[in-house]
Amino acid sequence: MEFNLTQEQKMFRDSVFRYGKDEIAPLCEEADLKGEFSFEIWSKLARFGILGLPFPEELGGAGADIVTCCLAGEALGHAGVDGGSLLAWGAHTYLCAHNIFAFGTEDQKKKYVPKLAQGEWIGCMGLTEPGAGSDAASIRTTATRKGDRYILNGSKTFITNAPVSDVFVVFANVDRAKKHEGITAFIIEKGTPGLSTSKPFHKMGCKCSATSEVFLEDCEVPAENVLAGEGKGWIIALSGVEWDRCTLLSPMLGAALYNLDLCARYANERHQFDRPIRSFQAIQHRIADMKVFAEASRLAIYRVASAKDRGQMLNPLQAAVSKVYAGDRGFEMASDAVQIFGGYGFMHEYPVERNFRDSKLAAIGGGTSDIMRMIVSRIMMM
Amino acid sequence: MDYQLSPQEVTMQQDLAAFCRAQIAPRAKMLDQSSRDDACTYIKENLKLLANAGWLEAGYAGDSLDLTTHYIVGEEIAKACPATFLSARSSTFLCAGALMLFGTPEQKRHYVPAILKAEKVGAFAYSEEQAGSDMAAIAAVARRDGDAWVISGMKNFVVNAPIADVLLVLAYNDKDAGTERGMSIFIMEKGAEGLKVAAPIETMGLRGAPIASVSLDNCVAAGILGGVPGKGYEQVDRILTMGAVGITALCVGIGTACMEVSTNHAKTRIAFGRRIGMYQDVGFKLADMFTNNDLGRMLGLRAAWALNTSEHGAKELAACAKLFASEAVTKIANWGMQILAGHGYLVGSDMERLYRDAKFGEICEGTSEMQRALISKTELDRFVQA
Repeated sequence: MEFNLTQEQKMFRDSVFRYGKDEIAPLCEEADLKGEFSFEIWSKLARFGILGLPFPEELGGAGADIVTCCLAGEALGHAGVDGGSLLAWGAHTYLCAHNIFAFGTEDQKKKYVPKLAQGEWIGCMGLTEPGAGSDAASIRTTATRKGDRYILNGSKTFITNAPVSDVFVVFANVDRAKKHEGITAFIIEKGTPGLSTSKPFHKMGCKCSATSEVFLEDCEVPAENVLAGEGKGWIIALSGVEWDRCTLLSPMLGAALYNLDLCARYANERHQFDRPIRSFQAIQHRIADMKVFAEASRLAIYRVASAKDRGQMLNPLQAAVSKVYAGDRGFEMASDAVQIFGGYGFMHEYPVERNFRDSKLAAIGGGTSDIMRMIVSRIMMM
Repeated sequence: MDYQLSPQEVTMQQDLAAFCRAQIAPRAKMLDQSSRDDACTYIKENLKLLANAGWLEAGYAGDSLDLTTHYIVGEEIAKACPATFLSARSSTFLCAGALMLFGTPEQKRHYVPAILKAEKVGAFAYSEEQAGSDMAAIAAVARRDGDAWVISGMKNFVVNAPIADVLLVLAYNDKDAGTERGMSIFIMEKGAEGLKVAAPIETMGLRGAPIASVSLDNCVAAGILGGVPGKGYEQVDRILTMGAVGITALCVGIGTACMEVSTNHAKTRIAFGRRIGMYQDVGFKLADMFTNNDLGRMLGLRAAWALNTSEHGAKELAACAKLFASEAVTKIANWGMQILAGHGYLVGSDMERLYRDAKFGEICEGTSEMQRALISKTELDRFVQA
């Protein structure tokens, strides 16, 4: 078993880290306080080629492998870029643009991927509904064929990027009797009659990603906008899981590394009882646990990424381990970081506060920790 | 990037697993329950079985020690019988491994092949009554007598002492030179005058691995490890840093065994009309067992890779692996006991034995507290103002 990065990967990670630290992180405190999508941060991500990382150069991307995509997520999180902006990137690049790239026709790819890769357009993916979260196959949004168009009706919720999106990949069922075999993905452009979004939600964390409901009221979508064909939507939705368990988790690992740096520095500088608080074992203990968490989480995330780069089928056990550990233990570690900072940690001016709120999402979004445990236990019981 | 076992590693793992299932696992309960004297006989038989099939020398090639192989082999043996791995490791890794890494060509030739073939059993003696984690506090001393080194002192908790033919003993040869320059490891042979091994002590777990204290009363050493004095601290530090890989393997092996026992029970035990593993209170415990064990294994293999390649930060990674896996396995054993409930609480049940075996990792060769101290110091020192 090997664990090495190429020289090129290391250099790329370091350059993304420096860029994130110098150019983006200074914007994040204020952006998070505003709780709005930051177009300034977005354009900075675009300028460095982050938004198009996994796509071929002819489609405006960088042709990066999955491990490299994870390194970028880790480096940006580690540099202090907020979880919301990185979530917006993840939803845009991996869940919207990459689905079009992987499942789209040549025309669809040419039309959408370059603009998404360059950040000119913003994308989102709409699967979750008010009545269908963990049980995603039970979505109620319908699509009815009418000549060369489909008429979509239904509503989606918790859709990252929806309020700012130009391109929506939306899942609907063409025949609810067929359950998941009727699920179909559609590309819908902003401004399409019948497509609307609610006001953004006020979220606990990841505030710089705009999240809202999406409404489809007799929304007419041309048949050529079907992605991969009728009934192929479930496969597309499941492919999102592969990205979720590595690239979308990598910023969470980065945030844990950022917290570790912040805490280790603070513990050296902060004095109580005439000595630096690093001399107290309770502080040391937490710092050590944060390091162990980061190393273990890193292994779980890059194992998924590395297998995906080799073209292997997603190992559901490895994927679940990656998610449940980053989610549950990551939140505990983020809480410990706040504890080390004490009263300061409770203040917005200190990034550990933001990381604490942001970190909770990893145990919820894209499959809750409970669902991860269900998957693992069912496989063990087979 | 790779993050997966190579086809050769998988084949090796499968071969060893089959061997252990047939030859080692069926003896685990007997080793645990027998008298201390009988355990000494049985464990020597196990070492012979492993050696005859070539497993004790897996990972040892020429002058180099492949820790990835050591990890994979260790986990499989530990899964079948944790005590057998502990004993085998004390002999082949802590003793023969140290001889191979630090010994003179003559010392290597003389001891290493014999230990790897289980013709001789090795042991490693460094702890004392007043010196465990605080290695500098050892009281054992060595003095020169002509060409010979003469050792006096008392060593505690020496795994394999009752069956050992070769013991590596840490002592101060020059206390004035301080901890880092004044200690050496001395090679002691069974039967040396003044060397006394006490009766095997009773332990809570890992009972198949005989443990005893050793006293040395003006005992002449067969040699000094590496031929030059003053290198003991560095040698112990290096072997125990690498030793974290083996302890991680031990913990993950026990964790895997716990998981197998618990999963079998959860699959077959019916309560209220359902297999109990289908209840979330049981099923989610199985999932947590899997997650923790899986991550422990990855950390163990990661540390092995880092040490094999002399990666910067390898020592810290080794500490992370040992800390994580040892704390994971006590949780895993606890969840397993909870799943088996009364069935696991019976003396003689696999779960009961594994539960006792599981505790060892957190307290051996640098307690969890010491691992955290090392890791946190490494992290905190990154931000010390020069």
